[in-house]
This record gives sequence, C-alpha cells and structure tokens, in this order.
Amino acid sequence: MTLVSSLLESMTGIHIFYVVGLLIFITLFIVIFIRTMRRPAAEMNEYKESIFNDKDPDGSERS
Amino acid sequence: MENQKFYYDNKTVKLFLLATIIWGVVAVLVGVLIACQLAFPAFNFGLEYTTFGRMRPLHTNAVIFAFVGNAIFAGVYYSLQKLLKARLFSDVLSKIHFWGWQLIIVLAAVTFTLGISTSKEYAELEWPIDILLTVVWVIFGWNMIGTILKRRVQHIYAAIWWYLATFLGVALLHVVNSFELPISLIKSYPIYAGAQDAVVQWWYGHNAVAFFLTTPFLGLMYYYLPKAANRPIYSYRLSIIHFWSLIFLYMWAGPHHLLYQALPEWVQALGVTFSIMLIAPSWGGMINGLLTLRGAWDKVRDSAVLKFFVVAVTAYGMSTFEGPMMSLRNVNQMTHFTDWTIAHTHIAGMAWNGGMTFGMLYWLLPRIFRTKLYSEKLANTHFWIATLSILVYAIPLYWSAVTQWLMLREYTPEGFLAYPNFLETLTQILPMYTLRIISGIMFLTGFLIMVYNLFKTMAAGSVEANEAAEAPALVLAGKRKPLNETIHRWMERKTVRFSIWVFVALFIGGAIQIIPMIFIKSNIPTIDTVTPYTPLELEGRDVYVKEGCYTCHSQVIRPFRWETDRYGDYSKIGEFVYDHPFLWGSRRTGPDLARAGYVNGPMYKNSAWHYNHFMDPQKMNEQSIMPRYDWFAKKDVNLDMTPNKIRAMQTLGVPYPEGFDEQAVDDLLWQANQIVAELKLSGIEIEPTKEMVAMIAYMHKLGRDIEPNTNQNLDSHDTGE
Ligand code: HEC
Repeated sequence: MTLVSSLLESMTGIHIFYVVGLLIFITLFIVIFIRTMRRPAAEMNEYKESIFNDKDPDGSERS
Repeated sequence: MENQKFYYDNKTVKLFLLATIIWGVVAVLVGVLIACQLAFPAFNFGLEYTTFGRMRPLHTNAVIFAFVGNAIFAGVYYSLQKLLKARLFSDVLSKIHFWGWQLIIVLAAVTFTLGISTSKEYAELEWPIDILLTVVWVIFGWNMIGTILKRRVQHIYAAIWWYLATFLGVALLHVVNSFELPISLIKSYPIYAGAQDAVVQWWYGHNAVAFFLTTPFLGLMYYYLPKAANRPIYSYRLSIIHFWSLIFLYMWAGPHHLLYQALPEWVQALGVTFSIMLIAPSWGGMINGLLTLRGAWDKVRDSAVLKFFVVAVTAYGMSTFEGPMMSLRNVNQMTHFTDWTIAHTHIAGMAWNGGMTFGMLYWLLPRIFRTKLYSEKLANTHFWIATLSILVYAIPLYWSAVTQWLMLREYTPEGFLAYPNFLETLTQILPMYTLRIISGIMFLTGFLIMVYNLFKTMAAGSVEANEAAEAPALVLAGKRKPLNETIHRWMERKTVRFSIWVFVALFIGGAIQIIPMIFIKSNIPTIDTVTPYTPLELEGRDVYVKEGCYTCHSQVIRPFRWETDRYGDYSKIGEFVYDHPFLWGSRRTGPDLARAGYVNGPMYKNSAWHYNHFMDPQKMNEQSIMPRYDWFAKKDVNLDMTPNKIRAMQTLGVPYPEGFDEQAVDDLLWQANQIVAELKLSGIEIEPTKEMVAMIAYMHKLGRDIEPNTNQNLDSHDTGE
C-alpha cells in the first residue's frame, strides 16, 4: 500500500479536482440554502398541499 | 380559465403493479434458494444451471430490476399523472416500456441460468441486453419528460425531481459502466482493466443503489407518505435542500467499496469523506418523512400502509447511517468481505425498498381497482411477519460477520494464525445461515399473504382503464423574476433546464473520480514480471466468470498481517492491468484466490488437488459449502472462439505479439497437454480441451507472476515469445 501511495503522491494536480468539487458543492449549498429559506411560507404551503388537489376515489381530498 | 377534459392512464399502472407482485415472488424465492445453498450445498442440485454462482446474480437482479424496478414504474406513472394533471405522454411508449422491461427480465433470467454474464455485480447482463435496457430506459425518460412538458400545473412537485434524477442518474451510470467489446452475441470484455474497471464498476454499483434504490423511492415517499397519512410533507424547504445535496454528493462515494484494496490513497480518501457527508442529506429525508406523521401516530397504529412506510423510512435512516460508518477504514476492515455487508443490503432492501413497495401496493392497488383492500388484518399480519423476518435476517448475519472476522485475525501466542484453515471459520457461522433460511421463508410467507390479499382485492373491484378528469390548461410561465424566485424554483419551472442542472451535479461527482483514473496512466504502475494470460488461462478465466466464482471468492489481498499470512503477499495495483474484467469480488464465502498459483505460498494446490476439489468439494472437506463442478471434466472449451478472444484483448491493449491469435489454439493445446500429463501422474485421465484443464491453468496463474524465482517451465512460453 505504501508502495502504491508513494507512487501516487507524485501525481501532481489530482487533489485539485477534489478540492474544486468540494468548493462547488459548498457554494451551491449555501446559495440554495439561503434562497430556499427566504421563500415565503405561503408559497411552500401551497406546494405541499398541491398533492391533495385531485379527486381521489375514497374522497381523501382536502382542499 | 376553462377546464380541459382528459383521462388518466390506469392500465399501465395496473400492469406494472401486477409485474411487481409476480416478479417479487420469483425474486424472493430465488433468494430462499441461494440461502439454502449456502447452508446446504445439496441445494445446488448438482446442475450447472442452478449453482450458487449463477443463481446469486439472478436473485440480485430480480430483486433490483424486476421487483423494485416494476414497483418504481407503477408508483411513478400513477403519481406523475395525478401530480401533473395530465395523461401519460404516449400510450405507445407506455406499452413499449412495459413489455420491453418484462422482456429484459426474462432474458436476464435465461442468460444468467445459462451462465452468460459479465461478472460485474448488478450489471451482469451481456451487451445485447444492455443495449435493450438503454433503449427501454430512454423510452421511460421520454414518456416521463413528455408528460411533464404537457402538464396542467405550474409547479413540479418534489417527488418528480427525484424521478427525473433517477432517469438521468441511471442513464449515465449504465452507459459509462457498460462500455464493452463484444466478441460474440453472448460474450464481451469490458474496455476497462483491473483497478480501473473496479473503480468504474463500484462507482456504478454504489450509484445504482443511489439512483435505482434510493432516489426513486424518496420520490415515492414524498408522494405516497403524505397521501396515505392525508397530511402534507413536513417541510418543503427541507425537501429542496435534501434533494440537491443528495444528488450532488452521492456520485462521489463509490470507492468506499474498495477500501484497503489496491487503490490510490486519494481515491479512498475521497470516497470516505463524501460517504460521511452523505449522512446529512439522507437524514434530512428521513426526518422529513417521519415528521410528516407528527400528530398522526394514532393512524399509524391502525394502518398497515403507514406502518410499512414508517419501518421503511426508519430503515432508510439506519442504512444511510450504517453505510457511511462502514466506509470508515477501521470498520470496513471487518465489514468488507464478511456477512456484515449482506446484512446491510438486506435491511435496506427488505425494509426500505420492500417496505415502501408493500405500503404503496396496499395503498395504490385498491385505488386502481376502485375498491377497498380485501383484508386490513392480513395486511397487518404481513407487516409483522415481514418486520420480524428482517430482524431474523440481520441479527444472525451481524453475529456471523463479527465471529468470522475475529477468528480470521486471531493469533496463537506463538504468533501463528489460530485458525489457519479458512473452513474452520466458515463452519463456525453455518448455523447462522440456517437462521437466514428461516428468515427467508418468513419473508416469503408474508409476501404470499399479500399476494392473496391483493388478488382478492382485485377480484372484488375493476379497473377504470381511462379515468376521466379535468383541469385548466397551464398558463405559460414568463421570464425569471430574479428577486423573488429561488434558483431552484426558477430552474424547475423549465423541465429541460432543470434536467441539465441535475445532470451537471451528477456529472461533476462521476467525472472527478473517473476521468483521472482513465486518463492518467501513471496512476497504475506497471510491474515488469506481470504477463498477459496464456490462451488456456484466458479460457479458464472466462469459465470463472461464467460460473460466477467471484460471488464466493475474492481475488485481492489487503495489507493486513492476518490476510497476508493466510493468503500471501498483499495485492499490487499493477498486477491487474490485463484483467478484463477485474475479479476482486465483494464477499469471501470461500478463501481469497489472488495467490492460488503462488507455488511457495499458503494457497497453492497442485493440479490433482484442484481436479478432485472441483469434482466434489465435499469429498475433500466434508464441511465445504462450495458447489461441485464435475461438468468441468465433461465440457469442452470452445476453441473456435479462442483466436477472437486474443484479438479482442489485443484491441483492448493487452500486449500479445503480432499474429498471436493464429498460434493461440496451438499454444493452448501445448499448455493443456502439460497439465494433462501432470494429472496422469496422479492417475487422472482427461482430454486437454476440457474446461477443467483451463480452470486449473487459470488457478495456477493467479499471483504467480510476482513470485520471485519460480521459473516455471510455462513462463518462457507465455506469450509465444
Ligand atoms: C458457494 C460459494 C462458492 C462458490 C460459488 C465457489 N466456491 Fe470455491 N470455495 C468455497 C469455499 C467455502 C471454499 C473452502 C472450502 C473448500 O476448500 O472447499 C472454497 C475453496 C476453493 C478453492 C480452494 C482454496 C484453497 O486453496 O483452500 C478453490 C481453488 C476454489 N474454491 C475455486 C473455486 C472456483 C474456481 C469456483 C467457480 C468455478 C468456485 N470456487 C466457486 C466456496 C465457493
């Protein structure tokens, strides 16, 4: 294993893929998080409830 | 706004529901069969068609693609229409999708039984069926996206994002993992080799779990759980965040299947970090599901549907916690190659996928048949039997994993392995395998109770193939209103744009891992003494693939003293450069074979031993659970194919000399005759063209190349040089 890893340590530039990916993820996460949290509750409720707007045979319709 | 009239397609949903039930029984039955085989090898029936190595892929594929697959399509197609207030895009596509998928399943069952397999776990289908699968999958996506485009509601509900991610994720995985070079209609070699093949395969294997067993079921959870509880999902915000983090992170975590094996350190580190990060979004989903039921727990008590959902979502949370734990290196030492993994997959499969599917069937089927469930009581009975059977499955196997691991690494005070014979550790855990059979029978019983209940329900009702409905047409959305619209909201207003973003998120994870492995040659250092397989060894290797020996044997030794003492020197990445496909395996039901040909190593056995062992393992070791392979002595290697195989290998970059394909058969016979002569010395008569001879040659090749000073007479002849 040490044999393998020492050989690979000489692979320059590989870690950058990994770091960049993480950074992309963290940035996107923060952006999506903030924007999502700032949505009005009414809109969120509308979406949540939207699945009940169908005429179910057993009459489980809510709205 | 004027209402438009349209009809929901319930017939397609019904067909997929029926297929789920029928294939589910088959999948579980085969599971019980292979559980019996592992406890009592007589259940291999001495037939090549029914040996464990061929039945195990049948079981896994039947569960994943037949049972779970059909359940996904039924659940998706029903909820998609209701959520979007639109009929499925095209009746023709729905038909092709349904029958195409069933055709794939039948072809899979037939080919696996005949030993036609690529040996890549959960991707064992040979190339023509792979192509068929791609076509049918695209039809599914086309039908789904078409329906989304002609929807009558503005907002695309959370469940559907997951469906879309499923479609895109599986498409990407399947295509990348299936690059193979066909040499006949029923045989191909993957273009990747060795460690590279392993990374691609487990990137696929891991993400098949993500995008076939997780994302579609999260989608189903977001629809059927609130529907069944008759209350909206706990937090819509959480569903958005949960969605994007999960699909982004999942793709990265593939290499955690290969820890401590011959893989670059950085690939391992990557897999581990992302596996741990995955806990967060996974638990976000679980919490969202469970909190939906807050204040409704009284309903759960009475409803089998909700009980199944609760167990499913809880099991999802447990498995997604256990999974990342298993990718920690020191935990993985134990869980990898032992029954721990088997227990883990069955908690996820039986409880999460099974539970969601059962709940959905009990909820949906009566609705489609416009009647009440025949018996709520039987459904509750099913629930309790199924839940109990999961415990009876998991607990013994966890026990077995710990026991075997402790035994395998135990040393005497003098510094020798306490149990040098692998079989001793296996004998110790065999009683657990008997318990597993009991669990399987319980699970099957519960399943059959459900089948009875559902068929009674169907008999009492009737399907309205085209259910009338009406809704106003969709008003087209305008441009993005940058300030008061979330990015997510903006993107998902436009299906195509949304899909592209999902694809980008998936692609980054996949690419980051795979691109370096493919393009950076220096990633895999070559070892000068490692030579390509001789034609005979190659034929033997193909028999190994065909018989599914990899379902019980690994071929990679980790760098622990208790492994190197038992199996020989640990594996080096450069040893596998000619392996199309890699055969590292994932479960050591039998001992590792990576150094089976290392003459002075602990695993070496001579030709006569191998002959007798393949003819009847139980005669050599009464306790062995390896199936017998006596047909190796009767069946011939197909010499017509040998030159093709060599040419295919050359195309893939294996350095056989120019024109070697012409000499391949002569070379094969020359080497085979040596083994025949050797066997004769032990009084065994066999023709050189038999599979047995090829298999023995292959066994003796394993690990031999890096052995110092064993100038075996074959070496100089290896590549005809
Ligand atoms: C059901 C699981 C199972 C399958 C499938 C299986 N084996 Fe085994 N194998 C075992 C077990 C358990 C042992 C240890 C007991 C014994 O030696 O029989 C073993 C032992 C061996 C050994 C002896 C290793 C040693 O040196 O002690 C060889 C070689 C071997 N198997 C090769 C194969 C090949 C080749 C195939 C496919 C044709 C195969 N096995 C399929 C379970 C399996």
